Amino acid sequence: MKRRTLIKATAGLPLVAILRPGLAQAQVKEIRMIEAGGKSGESIEVGYGNPFTAKTGIKLVRESPAPFGKLQAMVASGNITAATFELGSGSLVQAVKLGLVEKLDWAAINPMAIFPEAKHEYGFGYQYYSTGMAWRKGAKAPTNWADFFNTKDFPGKRTLPDYPQYAIPFALLAEGVPMDKLFPLDVDRAIKKLLSIRRDISVLWKAGAQPPQLLKDNEVQYAIAWSGRIVEEKELEFTFKEAAADLSYICTVKGAPKAEQEAVAKLYYEMSVPENQAKAAAVIAYTGSSPNLDPLLPKDKLHIYPTAKQNKDVQWVSNAAWWAENGEAVNKKWEEFKFNL
Amino acid sequence: MAAPIAERRHGFGFTAPLLGLMFIAFNLPILYMLALSIWSAEGGLTGAYYAELIDTPIYMRVLGNTLRISVVATLVNVAIGYPLAYWMRGLSPRAQFIAVALVITPFWISILVRTYAWIVVLGNNGMVNRLLLWSGAVDAPVSFLYNELGVMIGMANVLLPFLVLPLFASMLRIDDRLMQAAASLGAPPRTIFLKVFLPLTLPALAAGALLVFILCLGFYVTPAILGGGKVPMISNLLDMMINQYPRWEQASAVSTLLLVVTLAIFAGYRALDRKVGA
Repeated sequence: MKRRTLIKATAGLPLVAILRPGLAQAQVKEIRMIEAGGKSGESIEVGYGNPFTAKTGIKLVRESPAPFGKLQAMVASGNITAATFELGSGSLVQAVKLGLVEKLDWAAINPMAIFPEAKHEYGFGYQYYSTGMAWRKGAKAPTNWADFFNTKDFPGKRTLPDYPQYAIPFALLAEGVPMDKLFPLDVDRAIKKLLSIRRDISVLWKAGAQPPQLLKDNEVQYAIAWSGRIVEEKELEFTFKEAAADLSYICTVKGAPKAEQEAVAKLYYEMSVPENQAKAAAVIAYTGSSPNLDPLLPKDKLHIYPTAKQNKDVQWVSNAAWWAENGEAVNKKWEEFKFNL
Repeated sequence: MAAPIAERRHGFGFTAPLLGLMFIAFNLPILYMLALSIWSAEGGLTGAYYAELIDTPIYMRVLGNTLRISVVATLVNVAIGYPLAYWMRGLSPRAQFIAVALVITPFWISILVRTYAWIVVLGNNGMVNRLLLWSGAVDAPVSFLYNELGVMIGMANVLLPFLVLPLFASMLRIDDRLMQAAASLGAPPRTIFLKVFLPLTLPALAAGALLVFILCLGFYVTPAILGGGKVPMISNLLDMMINQYPRWEQASAVSTLLLVVTLAIFAGYRALDRKVGA
């Protein structure tokens, strides 16, 4: 009888797991950030997280990856587990439209000098990165996008990103559309160009680490990849010519507790310090948003950074507003394209 | 023999809290997600999302593609799994033990590691291609990966134990004397197999195949990695709709459709099972 009573008594124990522990914390012990992960995440920790912790004593806990649906789920459920979230430029526009991010109090952040496009109303532009052509050393080097899509003179398998916002403009550039006339995008023309090399498209990659690995394994000979993943590799080549320059933002999630938001403002300040940005650039070859960063970067490696003078001028920037309007329709066409591959 | 009423009520008292927890933690969230597909943003029932689903041909085609790949993967599994179970049945008890251990051991390894291992084996520079090139059987590396073939191979490998183990268990239970009796009545070995052994294993085979089929329908990891983004299955589509550009109502409509199709297939299986068992 005694054992049965004990079992009956413990029948209610699982319910305890549902009860939320008390959240009355006056002191913020840690800030959580949901970011892209990999080397990029490490650069955040080394460059900005460590100085932040040294100054304030608050730990920075990183989580990855950062799919957009996670942000939406957090805000919809009201259970904000992370105060900061990393968003690309297109996702930021969408997040603002859906009301998922807080306006940044730039007066409270009081950053050091940063480029104007990094001082977004709703996000801190912390990382410039480029997407462009990459290939193995020894393969015939393509000089422009028409070469990349020319499988006869440049034989070999290709890997493209499974992200239409990169693949579609590059296909148009290969068709001869000039960089400043890209938007509004002629999606059907781009898809036709992509289908013309369908036999040589080996993989559509989703993770940034895939293209360099595929190139190293000689699974593919040409790739479209993120610059920071390629430039530090000795057997791979990358060109910034006609590449897409982009900016990643760190945003404050809507509904994050006020105490955490104040702590996050101090983290944003750290992201504007050029010395910290140089530390981050040493981990992965992406640059921060300070105009005073160039003198702090190693002179002989200046050409691998997206915002170095010689690189910034030959690249083009995407039109986030156009993507916010047309993203869904383009995605449907992209799915059809994948189906017809 | 039904248990006496008093004992049955006692038993329910013990399971009720757990059933309640499962309902709250598992069933309710799923019902909420499915309800998203019929609940419009303004508040009120709507069929607009389903209308959009039918209007967009690509979604239905991806669903059809998923069904086709799942059927073929299941058939491949049956083609490999049935002979394997039959062979395992004929082994000595110690050899059987080793064989079962070999079938189960892959479960101890993470499914991601198993899937990536296929990339090492089947890649352009992988073991199989290097062997083929060295032996001169082919001039250029064969594309095993990043197409439907790679996805089928990966799925067949990962899901094989789900078919083999129940099938093997049911085969063990078949009395040898039944087959000896058939032989003593003059039946040749092929007839013994077709008329005695096979019908007895059919229920377990059908159940195992159905399990593998349903797992194939919802499979995400292996087709995503081995397909290289070029084999669109419903799970990849849902991932895009939930994580990349969020249209949760659309994702919910697609999920509900998939659930209905799966339940219909299961209902068909049950009807067939009852007819065969009668």
